[in-house]
Amino acid sequence: MRFKPILVLIALLIAPLTTHASNIDLSTVPTRDTVQLTIYNSEDLTLVRETRRVTFKRGMNPLQFSWANTLIDPSSVDLRFRTHSGELDLLDTAYPHDKPQMLYWNVQSEWDGDAVVEITYFTSGISWSADYRCVSNPGETSMAFDGYVRITNNSGEDYADAQIRLVVGTINLVEKVRTLAERGVLSQNEADDYRMGRTKLRQMPANARREMMDVAAKGMVAAEALSPKEIVKEGLSEYFIFAIPGTESVAHSWSKRMKLFEGRDVPFRIQYRYRQQEYGEALVRLYLLRNDEAGKLGSAPLPDGIVRVYRDNGRDGLSFLTEQAIRYVPIGQEIELNLGTDPEVIHERIRLKSFRDSFWYRRHGVSVYYSPDEGHRIQVKDTIAGWDDHQQWVDRIRNYRGEAIDVEIRRSFDGHVVFKSGLDPKLHDYRTPQFNARVEVGQRRDLVYELVFKQGYNKKQDNVTLKRVS
Amino acid sequence: MSCTVWNRLALIALVAGFSLSTPAFAGIRLITLPPRERVEIQLDHARVTLVEEERRVPLTQGVNEVVFSWANTSIDRNSIQLRPLSGPGKVEVLSVSYPPGQNALTWQVSSEKAGPALVRISYLIGQLDKTFAYRAEVSHDEKTLTLRQYILLHNAANEEFGTAGMWPGFGERIERPIGVNETRKILTARYTDVPVRKTYTADFARHGYLEAAKKQLRIPMHYVLQNDSAHGLGDAALRFGKARIFLQDGHGGAAFLGEDWAAFTPRDDELKLFLGVARDIVVKRTIDRREEIRRVGNLCDYDVVVKYEIENFKDSSAVLDIIESMSALRREILSDTGRDVEWETLGTASLNGKLDPERTTADEIVAQVTLPPRGADQQATKQTFTLHIRIKNEW
Repeated sequence: MRFKPILVLIALLIAPLTTHASNIDLSTVPTRDTVQLTIYNSEDLTLVRETRRVTFKRGMNPLQFSWANTLIDPSSVDLRFRTHSGELDLLDTAYPHDKPQMLYWNVQSEWDGDAVVEITYFTSGISWSADYRCVSNPGETSMAFDGYVRITNNSGEDYADAQIRLVVGTINLVEKVRTLAERGVLSQNEADDYRMGRTKLRQMPANARREMMDVAAKGMVAAEALSPKEIVKEGLSEYFIFAIPGTESVAHSWSKRMKLFEGRDVPFRIQYRYRQQEYGEALVRLYLLRNDEAGKLGSAPLPDGIVRVYRDNGRDGLSFLTEQAIRYVPIGQEIELNLGTDPEVIHERIRLKSFRDSFWYRRHGVSVYYSPDEGHRIQVKDTIAGWDDHQQWVDRIRNYRGEAIDVEIRRSFDGHVVFKSGLDPKLHDYRTPQFNARVEVGQRRDLVYELVFKQGYNKKQDNVTLKRVS
Repeated sequence: MSCTVWNRLALIALVAGFSLSTPAFAGIRLITLPPRERVEIQLDHARVTLVEEERRVPLTQGVNEVVFSWANTSIDRNSIQLRPLSGPGKVEVLSVSYPPGQNALTWQVSSEKAGPALVRISYLIGQLDKTFAYRAEVSHDEKTLTLRQYILLHNAANEEFGTAGMWPGFGERIERPIGVNETRKILTARYTDVPVRKTYTADFARHGYLEAAKKQLRIPMHYVLQNDSAHGLGDAALRFGKARIFLQDGHGGAAFLGEDWAAFTPRDDELKLFLGVARDIVVKRTIDRREEIRRVGNLCDYDVVVKYEIENFKDSSAVLDIIESMSALRREILSDTGRDVEWETLGTASLNGKLDPERTTADEIVAQVTLPPRGADQQATKQTFTLHIRIKNEW
């Protein structure tokens, strides 16, 4: 197989090897015995850990490791000895100037025979993502909630029979692995020259690619199992790891999707919400569920991903409801699935009346304020300096669905505002009243409230005060 | 069977669980092409069309590969899913593989036993969408109409679905063949004897003058339908679509009156279909009085009387809606202060008692008057209505 990371044991008499300048070489190529991929979803980063069996002789053993046409970060390549570590010693690592995707290790051996070496490195180009499929029952009380992971390999390397672990969580990198892979261990200027010239990743010949895909596809079938794999979920500090049992093969430029978990009879409730900042200028319908045991989920946090929501339409088919991205959902957190507006629930906001009162006047030429409500005498040249703007509003909800609905309305106001209502409002924050209502089947509810905006001299605060009225 | 050209959707079951990396095969392979047994097209989403199709796939015992490929169609590849409905034993989808650069995917499906399995494949597809259209045929006396609602299914998805079931989200399921690049207009509902009102509207803020120098307003005409059961409708919200309007001519035919976009109309709401501008109803609007009333300091009220002189030159009576926007009125007599308009009606002006409380809001007065037909001498009676308003607390 071409275009793969290759470990070569070079039979040279010269030692130690500084730059590989001889014209006649004899090499052996130890194959990869095992490989493990740890794929991060927050960065374009995969940690590859592979083992190979290498035969050493006493004395100096030069090893060549090359990775043509891949996206490996050369600075991350590391060699360790899994067996005979007391008798094997890595003396140095050389990066030849004229062969950017290659390095040499000089290994001093006190051992004649086989040893298992572990090579680890970072590569970019392998990614994974999650997606979810929800199918509500016809009555919209519970759903099937299935999670999937999809691994995409654009690293330039085929990984056959690989153990795969997927990491959820954010890590910090000071340089992107892809940048390091392209730059190699050259200086930035050298790297630029290099990139301008002959060293771009080569397009692989079509027959070579097909060969790779066939091998990978055979690998997939070889790992035959009659049941979907149960992906193991494990928390680790701030991270969560999904480990795919057994091995999987993912050829370069292929992707593969597997089931992450299966939720059945996941309960949810429906709420209609108006929250302009979150959902825009519309009353939207939401499925609300929780990622916990009571919610028949909660075995793992849910990574960022796309959720597609369907409903069993009761006529032996599905209705597509929505597709939305969700952010990482920790265990225990609520999940909101926004279905958008509902043609069977009509929401109107009507201003019923506007008026002004509580006038304050400023005396001409001086900063003294007077109010007729306080019994002050107002002069002809006095000008309005403060007043209250009153607005009477109704949020009118009409419910044409076959069941009662719960509605929550949250509105934000700037300035010094008094929110007067008999709707039992609560303050979501200092400028956002929130009130709830239930609208029965076929009914219309008028949710009436009055806003008093304190203007000019009357404005003493920048917040909303609730005033309950009967 | 060989298959080298993939114009449309295809489902391949690979016999004997042989591995496959791409549907553009190399080498000798044996494949089966299970046909569709049932297709349902779900049109109930406002923007997206979901296709569900059932096929009977021959499976061997163990792991099978089922390849789904498409070409020249706009399928959302991430939405494609396969659900086994029945099979020779337990049938499960193990994983899905996506080959590079191809509109295809491969499901790894395990089967407990060999035999055919009924599977349902669903996907979101583009360029297969729908619009709505209406035909309103109004009776000769313009009291009732017959409303036909059509769904227009536009299949530009480059795929033939055969006879497919469709559901637009309301009403009955429809079953029709859907050909390639075909638009099919299907009657979904017919409502007869629907009461209709013909209205004329005097709304200076929205429609302005027909002749500004004479202060003559533009008076649009509408047919108004109430989407509720009392008026023979109300099964569901009426969807947005083009409405063509015809008037029975009393001789067995119908005259085309025009067309309008019918707005999305929830149940219990009115659907207004615009017919054009009336020429036989003449409304002249003038502001008869503008009086500033100084109150305290620089605080003022404004006493305003708006006068409507109306003539109906038709030989039948007519109903005229008079709408007066308070913010537009303030702009006429004062300026736009940016503050809400505080107003009240005053006295016994003729329109003050005709306000419609359901439609009148903080910014808009709505009144309705009935106009008698022109007289036997062909002369129209000029009616004069006034609206007396106080605009308050301005400065």
